[in-house]
Amino acid sequence: MNAAAEFDVKGLNFYYAGNVHAIKNITLPVHKKNVTALIGPSGCGKTTLLRCFNRMHDLYPGNRYEGEILFKGENIFSDEIDLIDLRSRIGMVFQKPTPFPMSIFDNIAYGLRLKGVKKISGLSERVEKALNNAALWDEVKDKLHASAYELSGGQQQRLVIARALAVEPEVILFDEPTSALDPISTSKIEDLIVELKKNLTIIIVTHNMQQAARISDMTGFMMLGDLIEYDSTDKIFTNPSEKLTGDYITGRFG
Amino acid sequence: MTRVRKRKIEGVIAMVLCTVAALTGLFWLVFILGDVLAHGIKALNLNLFINDPAPAGVEGGGLRNAFIGQLLITLCATLIGVPIGVLGGTFLAEYARGRRIARLISILSDIMVSVPSIVIGTFIYAVLVKPIGHFSGWAGAIALSIIMIPVVLRTTEDMLRLVPWTLREAAFALGAPYYKVIIQIVYRGASTGILTGILLSIARVSGETAPLLFTSFNNSFFSADMNKPIASLTVTIFQYAMGPYESWHSQAWAASLVITLSILTLTVIGRLLIKGRHGKR
Amino acid sequence: MRKNPADIIFSATTAIASLSVAVFVIGILYVLIMESSPAIGRFGIKFLISTDWDPVKESFGALTNIYGTIITTFLSLLIAIPVSIGIAIFVTEISPNFLKAPIGAAIELLAAIPSIIYGMWGLFTLSPIMSRHVEPFLKKITAGIPIVSILFQGTPMGIDILTASVILSIMIIPFTASISRDSFNLTPPIIKESAYAIGATKWEVVKNIVIPYSKIGVFGGIVLSLGRAIGETMAVAFVLGNNHRIATSLFDAAATITVTLANEFAEADNDIYLSSLFYLALVLFVMSFITLAVAKYFLIRAERKYSR
Repeated sequence: MNAAAEFDVKGLNFYYAGNVHAIKNITLPVHKKNVTALIGPSGCGKTTLLRCFNRMHDLYPGNRYEGEILFKGENIFSDEIDLIDLRSRIGMVFQKPTPFPMSIFDNIAYGLRLKGVKKISGLSERVEKALNNAALWDEVKDKLHASAYELSGGQQQRLVIARALAVEPEVILFDEPTSALDPISTSKIEDLIVELKKNLTIIIVTHNMQQAARISDMTGFMMLGDLIEYDSTDKIFTNPSEKLTGDYITGRFG
Repeated sequence: MTRVRKRKIEGVIAMVLCTVAALTGLFWLVFILGDVLAHGIKALNLNLFINDPAPAGVEGGGLRNAFIGQLLITLCATLIGVPIGVLGGTFLAEYARGRRIARLISILSDIMVSVPSIVIGTFIYAVLVKPIGHFSGWAGAIALSIIMIPVVLRTTEDMLRLVPWTLREAAFALGAPYYKVIIQIVYRGASTGILTGILLSIARVSGETAPLLFTSFNNSFFSADMNKPIASLTVTIFQYAMGPYESWHSQAWAASLVITLSILTLTVIGRLLIKGRHGKR
Repeated sequence: MRKNPADIIFSATTAIASLSVAVFVIGILYVLIMESSPAIGRFGIKFLISTDWDPVKESFGALTNIYGTIITTFLSLLIAIPVSIGIAIFVTEISPNFLKAPIGAAIELLAAIPSIIYGMWGLFTLSPIMSRHVEPFLKKITAGIPIVSILFQGTPMGIDILTASVILSIMIIPFTASISRDSFNLTPPIIKESAYAIGATKWEVVKNIVIPYSKIGVFGGIVLSLGRAIGETMAVAFVLGNNHRIATSLFDAAATITVTLANEFAEADNDIYLSSLFYLALVLFVMSFITLAVAKYFLIRAERKYSR
């Protein structure tokens, strides 16, 4: 096993309800404190793969995993895994901002309260820290008790990142986090992701190849449920081994 | 880890309680339907449909007068209520589409759907029974039609809105006037939905009792004259159930069974129609 | 295009048909006010706070009826709300897919059963069960508890406020449950997923995300059920006993506005009696119209919120 690996995906297959084979025998290591990007045309399975890491597919009946994902050496599909504990260690940020129907403060504090942080002083401190880490503190510090819906789309997305950061996860999964945002908000989020990788591991699914090239260390190119190529981002974008990869990143299809 | 455990236990308790709630709902349905079936089936026989009531307290007799009366009142209510409801819904969805008046009528109709039906009975008593001087089948039918109209109107409006606008444009492009487009294209496109609305509205009024109590009143003799007081199943059930005779009670159960089965059949057919048409849940 | 004469006739017909609804609303209000004007003239606004109901002395007041309506409605909501929300949570979040449709259908059938059937069943089946088992049991466990025991005083007859409220609650469960279910279903899955992704349990997602997100719709559904309960007649007419007094025990017979109308309207033998009954009907119409309008307001707000 790779010593610097956060995750080791080994022979992973995933079937949606109705036996739709969506992930086909994928093996890859995800390195610690790296940004790993998953790219590929729509329907290639990149989001499906991402949602395997925190077992989001378990929310819907009939879905089935085969193979292993080792998280710090432990198989996340084993019966001993506690999903609540797993998900509080692996944060997730979605395509669209997903503020909860509560105040800005309560949004950030939500995960902490679930974990049992009750004292208001401790909470405030950690909320402020999370908002600072998400580069949002200065914009919201005067309206912490306003509804989260009052923020702009870009601010909401940083709020969601702050909410994920507040519970101090070891990994954050990003599912096309900037696809609903304007270019300025997008670049803020990209800067943030690069900043975050100092302390945690990041996996990001993106449609935007420039984004993958700008912020990731490793890139996986997927098509129709197969992992076609997985290598350092420099290699993938300058000298891919597979012809398909080259065709995709030069825009010949997708 | 104990905290996660506590949260999980709380979750399991909440989920169990919700499941119990769902079972409670099912329990009542099975209890009520089962009870009506068990009591009703004992008293159900051919005499019930072909004989008129025996004198009070005397065994035997049937409810032919009430069955016929119920059918007549419901039929007349449908003949009055359905055209007005469908045409009214047409105005909201077509000619007044997007205008404030359409919104207002639509909201008023939603309110009227739930307004106490007994109030409508008192209204009809004041305008049709008191001036004429006696109860009548027509008064009952009109009271029921007032309950029907908003139901039919709202479903028609909703169903017409589902017909894609491009379909109308295609017909306009052929030079058809609006009324022809509506009658020949839009109604056809929405026919299943409108039919469902009509069936459900018939189901709704067939079970109404309160608006008939002082409009069509009751009649222990056979009568098909809509200008006279006329018997209905529901009012008869009320009278018989509250009455002192065992034979009345069992006939009331039998009538309840017949009316429940008819209404549930109409409801189920209505639901199946719309499901078959629109495929998805 | 609109100049076609047939089109003008057709559009005018549809316009008149749709205006009929407004005519009914205004007509009902006008007729009820006219018919009750003798009673309004004689008793004035005091009608609403008088407990008299004496056809012989021709002295009438609505308070016992209004009280009966409010108390049965309140109790029935108290029973129905938790059950309905439980049902909605079960159907949207817990139930396996193959059970969702049958339970949804069962709830809809419960709503389709006519109220007279609920009344029959209440009189012949539920009422004996209440008087023999449920009510003596409630009396026993509350005996000695101050204040609470007052609610359960008297002989459990089964023809009383409690039985009527239970039947009423069964009748309104379908409305509340189906509107709550529809509101819950409008919570965007992605927001629920992000709560799960933080490590929330299913119950925490329901409690902290789904319910707050859909609370306006659920509230609208509850108010709608309230409006229905206020106007329900036949389901309570059988088992309430038509007793014109302010009852303190849930085992007392009582009268609601609707029950009084159903029992006495056709028998009212003098003008002031009949006019007082029209006055009652007017009070009922205004009460339920306002309640239903409030419900509609919340349901529209909920709809707007979700369609954003």
